[in-house]
Amino acid sequence: MKRPGLWLAVLLFLIPLVLIGYRVLRLGYPLFPTSPVKAWGFTLEIFFEPTEGNGKEIKIKAGLPESRSGQTVIEQRDLSSSLQFNLIPEGLNQIGVWSGDPERGRSLSYRATILLNPKQARKPKPPGPESFPTIIVDKSEELLARRLTERYASLKPPEKLKAILATTKGIWGEPLPEDNDLKRWSTIKEKYGTEKVLLLLLRSLDFPVRKVQGFILKETIAIEPDRWIAVWTGQKWEHVNAETGDLYDESVCLLPLMIGDSPMVTISGGKLLETRWILIKQTLSQWRAHFERIYRSGRFLDRWSLFGIPNQFQEIFRILLLVPLGVLMISVLRNIVGFPTFGIFMPVLMALAFRSTGLYYGLGIFGGVVLIGYLLRRAIDRLRLLLVPRLSFLITFVILAFTIFALIGSKFGIREFMAIGLLPFVILSMTIERFFILIEESGALQALRTAAGSAAVATITYKIIQIDPLQLTFFVYPELLFTIMGLLLLLGNYSGYRLSEILRFKVLGEKS
Amino acid sequence: MIIRQFLSLRRAGVLGINRRNAEYIMPFNRRSSFPLVDDKLLTKQLALKHGIPTPPLYHVVSHHGDIAGFERALAGRQEFVLKPARGGGGSGIILIVDRKDGKFMTQSGRAISKEEIHYHISDILSGIYSLEGLEDKALIEGLIHPDDVFSKVTYEGVPDVRIIVYRGIPAMAMVRLPTKQSDGKANLHRGAIGVGIDIGKGKTMDGVARSGVITHHPDTGELLRDIEIPYWRKMLFMASQSTDMTGLGYLGVDLVIDKNEGPLLLELNARPGLQIQIANQRGLLKRLEMIERAPKDIFLSPEKRVAWSIQNFTGGGF
Repeated sequence: MKRPGLWLAVLLFLIPLVLIGYRVLRLGYPLFPTSPVKAWGFTLEIFFEPTEGNGKEIKIKAGLPESRSGQTVIEQRDLSSSLQFNLIPEGLNQIGVWSGDPERGRSLSYRATILLNPKQARKPKPPGPESFPTIIVDKSEELLARRLTERYASLKPPEKLKAILATTKGIWGEPLPEDNDLKRWSTIKEKYGTEKVLLLLLRSLDFPVRKVQGFILKETIAIEPDRWIAVWTGQKWEHVNAETGDLYDESVCLLPLMIGDSPMVTISGGKLLETRWILIKQTLSQWRAHFERIYRSGRFLDRWSLFGIPNQFQEIFRILLLVPLGVLMISVLRNIVGFPTFGIFMPVLMALAFRSTGLYYGLGIFGGVVLIGYLLRRAIDRLRLLLVPRLSFLITFVILAFTIFALIGSKFGIREFMAIGLLPFVILSMTIERFFILIEESGALQALRTAAGSAAVATITYKIIQIDPLQLTFFVYPELLFTIMGLLLLLGNYSGYRLSEILRFKVLGEKS
Repeated sequence: MIIRQFLSLRRAGVLGINRRNAEYIMPFNRRSSFPLVDDKLLTKQLALKHGIPTPPLYHVVSHHGDIAGFERALAGRQEFVLKPARGGGGSGIILIVDRKDGKFMTQSGRAISKEEIHYHISDILSGIYSLEGLEDKALIEGLIHPDDVFSKVTYEGVPDVRIIVYRGIPAMAMVRLPTKQSDGKANLHRGAIGVGIDIGKGKTMDGVARSGVITHHPDTGELLRDIEIPYWRKMLFMASQSTDMTGLGYLGVDLVIDKNEGPLLLELNARPGLQIQIANQRGLLKRLEMIERAPKDIFLSPEKRVAWSIQNFTGGGF
C-alpha cells in the first residue's frame, strides 16, 4: 500500500458499494437485474392523402394504448418526422394527435411497447357516469327488453350477466318467455345486431357498460380493431365479445385503444387511405421492467436514476456507459495480455460499431474496407499527395465505401450493410494509413499481426459489452463507473509482466 | 502455470514493458525533456554544446517552400543522409551514396529521381514519419562510413551500438548489425541482428535474430563473438554524458563508429526497447537494481560512472 493510487482505488470501490448497498437493502433493487418480461410491440401506421387545393393543416387523431391496470406503456415513439405529434387524454382515452403541413409526408407511424404484468393489477375503479351510454331505440323495444330481463333481476350480477349472454344463443331458461315476445325480439336482433341488443339488455338491468375498440393481444396485422363490451359486475370489468356474446376468460389479454363510439382514427383536411395496426410479441430486454418500477418511485435515488431521463437520451447513455467497460477491456488486453492494436481506442469504437452491424458483418466490413483502402492507398502513393489531403482522400473513400455497402444492403435486404454508418470512419481511415506504413516499414507479417490483434481486442470487447445483464447493471447502478475508475487505477499501477512477454522473453526465462 | 512463467522471468531479472514505463521512464524521464531526444535537431545542437561528436549537419529543410533549395545546400556533395528530425524506429531515412545523371543512388543500389526526393522531403515535413504526426523538419547529414570493425558481420548499411544508460551508468549494450533481410537498416524489428556486448571487456557476445540465438552472421557467415570494439571506453563516456546533457535518467543511446571521425552520437531514445535483453541473453532488471544500490559518490562524474559500470557489468553473473 505504498502507492497513493491504491488508497484512492479502495475509496473508489467503497463509493459504489455503499450506494448499491443502500439501493439493494433499502430500496429493494435486484442485485442482478434479470427475469424475463412479457411485452408487446404495438405499431400503428396510417396512410393518408391531403384534400386537393386545401391549404389547411391536416389533423389526424387516433386512439393509442395507455398505461392501465396490469399493463404499462413504455417507449412511445412517433416515427413520422413531418407532422407534429401530441398525446392528449380525452375522457377515458389517450388520443394521439398529428397535425401539420400536409405537403410533407403521406404516412405516419407510431410505435409503443406494452409491458404486461398481471401481478401488478390494481383494484379496478367503479365506473363513473360515462359508463351508462344512451342506447337509441323505440320506447316499445326498450320496454320489451325490460320485460324479458325482469326474470333475472334477483340474480347476483355475475350470474345475471351469464344469463343475459346465454340469451344471444337463444337460451332463456325456464319458464320460457311468451312466444310473441321472443318473435318480436328476434326481429329487433335482426335490425340492430348482436352488439346493440346486448347493450340494450344489459342497460335494462342497469349494468354499467362500455363499448370498447382495441385488440386481443395476439401476433397480428389488422386493418380493423376488435370490438367488445366491458361490463361492470360490481367487482370488476368483464369483457364480452360483441359479435358472439361470449365472455372472454381471464387468460385473454385485451388492449383497449378507444372506449366509446368514436371511430379509432379520424382525419380532417384529408382522406384516410389505409390504417394498419401491427402487434408483435417481444422478449423484452430487461431494461424496461426496471424502468417501470423506478419511474413510479419517489425515493431520492430512484428519482436520480437514468430511467428518469427521456427515452432517446437513455439510449445514448446505455451506449455511453459501455465505453468505460470497453476501455477497461482495452487496458487489460494491452497492458496485461499485450495485444498489439492500431491506435489505442480504435478497438472500442469498432466494438461499439459492431453493436449495430453484428460481429461477423462488422469484422467483414471492417476487413473489407481496410483491404480495399490499402490497395487504394498503394495506388495513390505514386501521386505524391500531401499528408492532410491524402488522409482526407482516404476518409472520403471510406465514406464512399459505406455508401456503396448501404446501397448493396438496401438492394439485397441486408440490414447490417446499411447499419455501418456508425462504424468510426475517421479511425478507419487512419487505420488504412497506419496499415500501409506498417507494411512498408515492418513488413506484412507485423501489419497482419497488428490487424489481427485489433480485431481480437474489438471482438472480446464487443462480447463483453454485449452481455445483457452487465449492460443493465451499469444502467441501474451508474455508480459502478467508480469501480471502473478504481480498477483502472489498479491497472495503472500494474508493473508486472505482460502475458505476451512470456513468449517474447521465453529464452531468458528458461535460462534461469 | 502463468504465474510460474512470470516468476521465472522475474528470477531471470527480465524487465517488462509495464515496469519499464512505471518505474523507470515515468519517474526518471521528465516529460519536459522528451523533446530534446524526440527531435534529432535539438539533440544534435545539445550534443554540440557538450562536446559530444555527431554526424555533420549539412542542411535543414523546415518549410515546403524550401524543398527546391535543398540541392543548392548540398553544394555538389555526392553522398548524404536524408532523415526526419522526429522520426522513430529508423523510418523515413534515406542514405544517398552517389549521384549519377541527375539521379540519386541509394545505398541499396536504387536510383531515385529528384522529384522522388522532393516528395519524400515533403512527406517528412508533413509529419508522416514523426512520432505524433506533428509537422517535422528534414535533416540532411553527412553519410557515415562505418569503421571496418564490423564489416565482416554487416550486410550493407551501418551497424550501430545501443547503450542503455540508467542514472548516468551504462547498464547494458548491444550492437545492431544490418542483414539482407533488414535492407541494410540497423533496426531489430526489420530483421537486423542484435549482438550483446560485454561492457567490461568491450567485446561482442552471441547474437540474436528473429529466429533465436545465433553465433554467425546469416549473410556473411562470420563469427559474431569476441569482436573487440574500438573506442569502447569513449563510447561509454559519451553515453554517460548524454544523461547529464538531457537530464533523462533512463535513456537509450545510439552510437555509430565512423572510419575517420570515430564514435558519433546518432540519436537518443527516451523509451528504449527491451530487445537488448534478448541480445544480451540476460535481464536488465538485476543491473538496474544494482545501480540503485551503488555507492552515492560514483554518480558524481561520468568518469566514475563509466568506471563503475566497467567494473561491475562484465563476464558471466551480471
